[in-house]
Amino acid sequence: MARLFRLWEKKRGVRRTGSKLLGSVGEALFFAALFVLGAISLAAVITSQFVREAPDELRFSGWALWLLILVLGSFLLIGGGGVIYTVLHVGASAERRSALVKRAGNIELLSATSFSPKDYPNVPRDTNQTDSPGITLAYRLPIAQSPLWKLIAAAVFSLVWNAISSVLLVVAIESHVLGNPEWFLTIFVVPFVTVGAWAIYYFVKQVAVHAGIGPTSVEVSDHPLRPGDRYSIFVSQAGRLSVKRLELLLVCEEEATYHQGTDLRTEVRRVHESRVFCREDFEINPGIPFEHECDLRMPENVMHSFQSHYNRVQWKLVVKGEADGWPTYERSFPVVVYPAACSNGRP
Amino acid sequence: MIEPLISLTLRDPRRIFQPGDELECEFQIDAVPAEEIQAIEASVLWYTEGKGDEDLAVHYFERRVPNDAENGDLRPLRRFRTPLPNSPLSYDGAIVKIRWCVRVRLFLRRGKEVFYEQTFQLGAVPAPVVAPEPPAAESDVSADSEPSAM
Repeated sequence: MARLFRLWEKKRGVRRTGSKLLGSVGEALFFAALFVLGAISLAAVITSQFVREAPDELRFSGWALWLLILVLGSFLLIGGGGVIYTVLHVGASAERRSALVKRAGNIELLSATSFSPKDYPNVPRDTNQTDSPGITLAYRLPIAQSPLWKLIAAAVFSLVWNAISSVLLVVAIESHVLGNPEWFLTIFVVPFVTVGAWAIYYFVKQVAVHAGIGPTSVEVSDHPLRPGDRYSIFVSQAGRLSVKRLELLLVCEEEATYHQGTDLRTEVRRVHESRVFCREDFEINPGIPFEHECDLRMPENVMHSFQSHYNRVQWKLVVKGEADGWPTYERSFPVVVYPAACSNGRP
Repeated sequence: MIEPLISLTLRDPRRIFQPGDELECEFQIDAVPAEEIQAIEASVLWYTEGKGDEDLAVHYFERRVPNDAENGDLRPLRRFRTPLPNSPLSYDGAIVKIRWCVRVRLFLRRGKEVFYEQTFQLGAVPAPVVAPEPPAAESDVSADSEPSAM
C-alpha cells in the first residue's frame, strides 16, 4: 500500500519516489474539484440574483457581486485549464508533446508569427535588424535597451522611494521636536534615507549620461551575418565628449534560464569577444558626431544565434566608451548570425 | 520481468552529419511479448544540457500502435529516414549545450515506459574558449583590427 499511496513524496532531481500516474490522477482530481466548486457556486450566485425565493445569504449587489463573480470565475478557469493540461500530459511523452507543438507551428497563420524563420529552426528572425535602413550602409541596427528606459525607471524609483522616505523623516523629526522621540522609527529611517539618497545620485548620473553622451548608432552592410564572411560597419557617436577610448566589440553570449526553488534565474556567460576597432584620445563636438567605417570579418567555426525557451546564444556589437568626467558606458546592438554555408552547398 | 531490448542503429557509422544530410535509422524490439507493447515512438530531436532548464524540440516523430502493424506486432525491424534541418547545430558551449539524438520510446502495459537513444552530431561547431578580458589598446591611433576569438 505504501508503494501505491504516499502522503509525502520526495523529489530526487527529475525523478520522483511515487507513481507518476497516481500523481497525475491526484492533480486532475484537484483541478476537477476546483472546477466543480467554481461552476456550482457561480451558477448559484448568478441564479439567486433572478430568483425571488433565493435565500438572502446568496443575494449580493454592487462591487461584492462582481468580486464574487471574478473569484468564482477564476476557480472555473483555473480548474478547467488544469484538468485539460493534466489530461494532455498523461501518457504523452515529451517528444509527442513537442511534435504536437511543431505541427501547430506549421499552420501557415501561426508560422508567420513564429520567432524563427521556417528554414532555420530556433534561429531568431532578423526583422528588427533589417526594418530600419541606414544612412551610410544598408541597415541601421536597433539598440538592445534604450537608455531612456533606464532613465525612466531610475526616475520612478527615486520619486516613489523618496516620497515615502520624506513622510517617514518628517514624522521622525516631529517626534523629536515634540519631545517624544520615536527611536525605533528614527533608526528605521536612516537606511531608508540612505537608499533614497543613492537613488537620487543614480538618477542624476543617468540624466547626465543621457544628456551628455549623445546617441550612438551602428550600421551594417548586410544582415543576417554568417561565420567567415566580411561586412562593413559604420559607427556614429554624437555628444560633447573628450573621449579617452571608444571601441567596438563583437560579442557572443550564452544565456541560460533555470528554476531555483520558486525563483527563475538567468545566467549569462560571454564566450566570444573580439575588438573590431578602437580609437583613443579625441574630441566629439556638438553637431559634429564621431563617425567611423571599418571592416568586420566574422570568425569562422562559431555557433549561430540560437533561441529556445530557456536557453539562448546571442551575438551583438557592443560600443564601449570612456570619456573624461563620465562613467564608462556600453551600448549593445544585437545581430543575428546564421549557420555557415556548408561545403555541400547547404544551407 | 526482463527489461525489453531496444536495438537502434544509425546507418551512417560516422555519427557526424551536415544540415541537409539524410539520417537513416533502424530499430527493433526484443525480449518482450508483442501483446505487452502498447505503442512505440521514434523521434529525431535535439535537447539542451547545461545550466539552464531543458529545452527539447522534435524534428521527426512517428508513433505506432499495434493497429498500425502487421499482425499487431510492433517488434520487427523498422527503418525510417529524414533529412536533417539547417539548425540548431550541435554545440558544446560553456553553459548551453545542444545535443541531437534519435530516441525510441516503448510504451508497455500498466503505464511502464522504456526508451533508448543514440546521439549524433549535426554540423561541426567547435566548443568555444571562454573569453578573458579584452587586451589593452596598443596605440593611441585608430586601429582597425581583425577580430579574433578569445
